[in-house]
Amino acid sequence: MNAQNSHVLVVDDEPSVLLTYRMILEQQGYKVTASISSKDAIAALEQDPMDLLICDLSLEQKHTGFEVIEHGRSRDATVPAILVTGYASKEVMDKAEQAGVTVLFKPIDINEFLSTISQKVRSRNESRHQKA
Amino acid sequence: MATPEMRVNTVAQLPAQRRMAALRRRSALRLLDVERSEDIFPVLLEEIMALGFRRAVIATVDPETGELVPAESVNAGKQFLAQFRTSLYASENPLVGVLQGMQPAVLPQPGNKNHNLYCHPFIYRNRNMCWEAERERRPDCLALVNFTNPQPMQLERQTCEVCDMRSYTGLVAVELNGATSERELSELRALIELANRYLARLFKVEHYYNRMRDMDTTIAQMQTMMQSMSDPVILTDTHHRVITQNRAAEQFFKLPEETTEGLVRAIELNNLLFSAALSSMAMGGEDASRDLTLVDPIEGEEVLFEAVTAPTFTREGMRTGLVTVMRNVTDLRRADEELRTNFERLLAAEEVVRQDRDRLNLIIENVGDPIVVADSAGKVVLLDPLAQELFARSKEGRVEPQVVKNLAKLDAYIMGFTFSFSDRENAPLKLWSPGARAELEYDARSGKIYDVRGQVAYTVTVLRDLTPLRKVEQLKVERRMLEVEKFAATGRLAGTIAHEVNNPMEAIKNAIYLLADGVKEEKKPVYDILKGETERVARIVRQMLGLYRTSEQAGSIDINSVIEDTLLLFTRQLQRNGIVALTDLDKLPPAVGSADQFRQVLSNLVVNAKDSMPEGGRLIIRTRHVPEPDGIHSWVRISIADTGAGIAHDILPNIFEAFVSTKGEKGTGLGLWIVKGIIENHGGKIKVRSKIGKGTLFQISLPVVR
Repeated sequence: MNAQNSHVLVVDDEPSVLLTYRMILEQQGYKVTASISSKDAIAALEQDPMDLLICDLSLEQKHTGFEVIEHGRSRDATVPAILVTGYASKEVMDKAEQAGVTVLFKPIDINEFLSTISQKVRSRNESRHQKA
Repeated sequence: MATPEMRVNTVAQLPAQRRMAALRRRSALRLLDVERSEDIFPVLLEEIMALGFRRAVIATVDPETGELVPAESVNAGKQFLAQFRTSLYASENPLVGVLQGMQPAVLPQPGNKNHNLYCHPFIYRNRNMCWEAERERRPDCLALVNFTNPQPMQLERQTCEVCDMRSYTGLVAVELNGATSERELSELRALIELANRYLARLFKVEHYYNRMRDMDTTIAQMQTMMQSMSDPVILTDTHHRVITQNRAAEQFFKLPEETTEGLVRAIELNNLLFSAALSSMAMGGEDASRDLTLVDPIEGEEVLFEAVTAPTFTREGMRTGLVTVMRNVTDLRRADEELRTNFERLLAAEEVVRQDRDRLNLIIENVGDPIVVADSAGKVVLLDPLAQELFARSKEGRVEPQVVKNLAKLDAYIMGFTFSFSDRENAPLKLWSPGARAELEYDARSGKIYDVRGQVAYTVTVLRDLTPLRKVEQLKVERRMLEVEKFAATGRLAGTIAHEVNNPMEAIKNAIYLLADGVKEEKKPVYDILKGETERVARIVRQMLGLYRTSEQAGSIDINSVIEDTLLLFTRQLQRNGIVALTDLDKLPPAVGSADQFRQVLSNLVVNAKDSMPEGGRLIIRTRHVPEPDGIHSWVRISIADTGAGIAHDILPNIFEAFVSTKGEKGTGLGLWIVKGIIENHGGKIKVRSKIGKGTLFQISLPVVR
């Protein structure tokens, strides 16, 4: 039940946003992999297992955070995911709901951001322990 | 009575000349004494005997058989008499010759040489005309003819041309002895002539007597006829004085025995009126008629007569006066008057009906909508000019196929309505309009007309072309959609801006958070300002992004589904707050607009409601469809009510303005402003009612077009 052990992947195509997310998360004690693009994110997923995925909806070119999440889920179906976005259409909301992905709206309230993350990590740990 | 022999004896004792004179006087007196013609013969025979002759026969002509036949005789046996029976056509018989010659003659007696026969013809003759001939100035009176005209007469036909009397014909035959002197013969002749004269006169008298009796009978018959007539008949002379009148006329013109003053006046009046009428009719000439109103003397009522007159003439053609027959036509006239009045009334009524019908036709023609009237069997009986365009044949008698289709649709519609139980019907009908050369949608409105028995007599259908109306509505919708589009476009622009601003804002916000540790104590207030304002900007941006989250086009909204979806979205949050959500959703037609925008509206209102009930409560969402009377427009009313804290009276009027909030620092003040904006863009209205401590009710009305 250690936040420090959780590996979080954060993906955003905005450099300053990505940097500040990483700093905030690392301040909290998470192990953070920050990717600037979906390509990078998928590569990172290949290398390490993740405990949580935090993705911006709109990424480089026409790629979306969903691709990253899907890829992550293909490796680990139970990995929790958070989608971060400025706005989301009904389709996006439905898709997120179907996939069991939480959506947070930018600008995100930091407290909400952090509490959502910790809750997701905690439940993952619990389920993992249960499995074990 | 004394036998001839006895009388003879008395006279025979006188000296010859005196005896003759005495005999003559006596014969004349005796014959004069006779009152009946049939008594002449016996007396004559007696006198013949008195003259000294032994045997005599009187034979008469039977006109039926055309025979001479013995009638009376003295001292004549059968054998003797037989010679006096002969046919008048036996002209060789000397007796017939005597008759025809009308002259006495002495004839030898066959079978008796010594005794000749003096034959004297006996006929009706007179020196003077009979009364009728005198009156009529006709010379062919039989008596006169026989007297003056010595032609051989027609013995069988002794009938007077003038008075129609059939007279006698005969002869007297006296047997002479050888010693008969001339003087004796002349005495005999004179006697027989005298008898003939007397007989002629008596005969005439008897004839007159018969005539008078006949006339009397005739008069009686005429009287009966006249009296039995119920119509008054009056005979007047040339001075219009009444000669005679029947009982029916007497009622009006004759004073009865018992009179009253009124009766007398009435009768006098009637006579006056009648005279006046006669005078005017007499002027008119033959067979005139006129109306005459008299007074019934007993009843006192007016009686209307039609008086018909005819002049009367003598046999010679001389005008003697007038005969008037009066027909009571009171009832007839009254009936005629009534008929005339009724007829005029009928004409007047017809005129009124015609005018009404013309007026109705004018109205129908000018209504400006096609009108169809059908009878109780659903058969079309009247089409106004506009309807004729849609349903009638062309002038050449052809029917366009489109019109046939129109007729089929109309027929189905009318039949359905006629035999349904409803009084009224309102349905759309798509018909081909030849004028517009297009299929137009008509709104058919129908009603039923009932007869006195309450059965359907006619149906009236008015077709309203909704195209112009629809066009207006269509334009309105299009404009609204354009507004929505513009709104959306603006939104998209704002969205894009917001999105652009968003990411930097995210970074700034994160950075501020990260800086929190490194801020010196005296710089804290500055840091707080930085943090606070950044958060505020973030919230605004977020609101805006939330509003324009979608680039969806305007379309059809199923309001109830949106409500249900939104509530579903908020289920957990509401439950967490202890809020019970209730819905009461009416069946709604689809609305036009942006479903996402509407979702935004609902979300905002639901969130507000949730925020107003931190301790729990009830959230009630109700929808209703409220149609307008014109049958085309209607409204969807959505009410969102909560049992929360309520909004203060002083803020309530401004609640929809931008940057007005009840949430203190948490609220952006934009939520309701955005809601109002969206609603108004959709052509709707939003109202709010609230009471502190009780709750708040938001009522949205969105327009819907069928």
